Amino acid sequence: MLLTNRPFRTLLSREILRFTRIWIQTIVPPLLTSLLYLVVFGVALGTRIREVDGVPYLEYILPGVALMSLITGSHMNSSWSVFDAKRERYIDELLISPMSDLQIALAYSLGGTLRGLIMGLGVFVVGIPFVGVTVEHPGLLLLIGVLSSFTFASLGTMVGAMATRIDHISFLTNVVIQPLAFLGGVFYSVEMLPGFLRVATLFDPIFHMVDAARYATLRTSDLNPYPTLGVVFLLAALAFAGAWWAINRGPNLRY
Amino acid sequence: MEDIVPALKVEDLRKTYSNGLLALDGVSLEIQAGRFFGLLGPNGAGKTTLINSVVSLARPDSGRVEVFGRDAHREFREARRMIGVSPQELNLDKFLTVEEVLLYHAGYYGVEKRKAKERAEELLERFGLVGKRKDRVNTLSGGMKRRIMFARALMHDPEVLFLDEPTAGVDIELRYSLWEYIRELNRGGLTILLTTHYLEEAEELCEEIALIDDGRIAAQDTSAGLKARYDARSVEEVYLKVMGHVADQ
Repeated sequence: MLLTNRPFRTLLSREILRFTRIWIQTIVPPLLTSLLYLVVFGVALGTRIREVDGVPYLEYILPGVALMSLITGSHMNSSWSVFDAKRERYIDELLISPMSDLQIALAYSLGGTLRGLIMGLGVFVVGIPFVGVTVEHPGLLLLIGVLSSFTFASLGTMVGAMATRIDHISFLTNVVIQPLAFLGGVFYSVEMLPGFLRVATLFDPIFHMVDAARYATLRTSDLNPYPTLGVVFLLAALAFAGAWWAINRGPNLRY
Repeated sequence: MEDIVPALKVEDLRKTYSNGLLALDGVSLEIQAGRFFGLLGPNGAGKTTLINSVVSLARPDSGRVEVFGRDAHREFREARRMIGVSPQELNLDKFLTVEEVLLYHAGYYGVEKRKAKERAEELLERFGLVGKRKDRVNTLSGGMKRRIMFARALMHDPEVLFLDEPTAGVDIELRYSLWEYIRELNRGGLTILLTTHYLEEAEELCEEIALIDDGRIAAQDTSAGLKARYDARSVEEVYLKVMGHVADQ
């Protein structure tokens, strides 16, 4: 009922139209960045690292780079989309429509999820010329991709709805997500870290997502991926509850 | 006559903003179906807050709102589907073209696709937007945007139309053609709630007028009734008397 409802589907298709219409801003630059990571870290520095856990370095970093791109794409999509709509007040059109706040939050979050998945998949496609990619558990990879993307898209919806200035959005991207992504074991195994950093990494949600994506792709990981799935599922639920709450209660939405 | 469900029924509506401003101080109002109703008052009197409270953009502290007998809070889907709003501030989705603005709006209100296309054609034609249908809305002039907002408010075929200062900043030619169209819609049975600063237009268009000041309804009647009660020659004079000013002559 919720998903087949025409108002909801219309907003979701508007969200897809938005990022596909401005693909030069939304799809090309992040793919290029990921390609640069693969070239710089994989091809250039990778010749000195060679292997991690018995896997060639370029292959080792690919799932993490894809996940990093997915996370960036998903949260940026919904945070900017909601913030723009709020700043220019066209979100009012949705708030006074027969749609519920739950539907609005879900449509924004699913739009971001889809953009994230496209980015993640794009990195795998771009990576093929560098690495002979074979995905060991495609179903698990898709599941972890969808859950991670939904988590960060929901977080983006929440921040977009709560933000009152552009700085709030860039704070999420530059001060929260980017450090967590870089410290999330994309470029190294957590085993390489000294003890206290290894423990600290366990509190980084992106580490768990990257690790599970690596297991699904290469069958090598620092942790057992299945409990991780439970953690990511919980994070997704929490983030979406936050998105829903923020659409309902965010500043300058309903007075 | 008493048995007929009013298009809009507002009961003892109070709204205080987070900064402590009391915007609505127990407003009660009833607008009969098919009426052309004017809501007049100075800036900050509570006109937009009243409209926003009906469509749940504002959260009233207390009070009740019904749209054709449907509770605007508990039965929000049914209530909101019956309302079309052309807000004071331009608020068009900048990523969309003119035609898409109309079609997406219809979708948000659950209008079936084929019906939405027909309606969009009709409104594009009516508002002289056919040649601009593929243009992105953010490339258009203010007057053009105003027309699109108007057409958008009508896309889901509402029963009540809220026009909040719809002609602010619009050239005279467009203003007259918009009024002509609104009158035509009203003759066809559409209930209209208009807020405006152009008092002579309110006098000419509205069958019933409410004056709002400091969050309270200060007076309400037909324009003839108001003029008789306040011994005034025009609605403007009534307005000045009610708002505590003395008319010049």
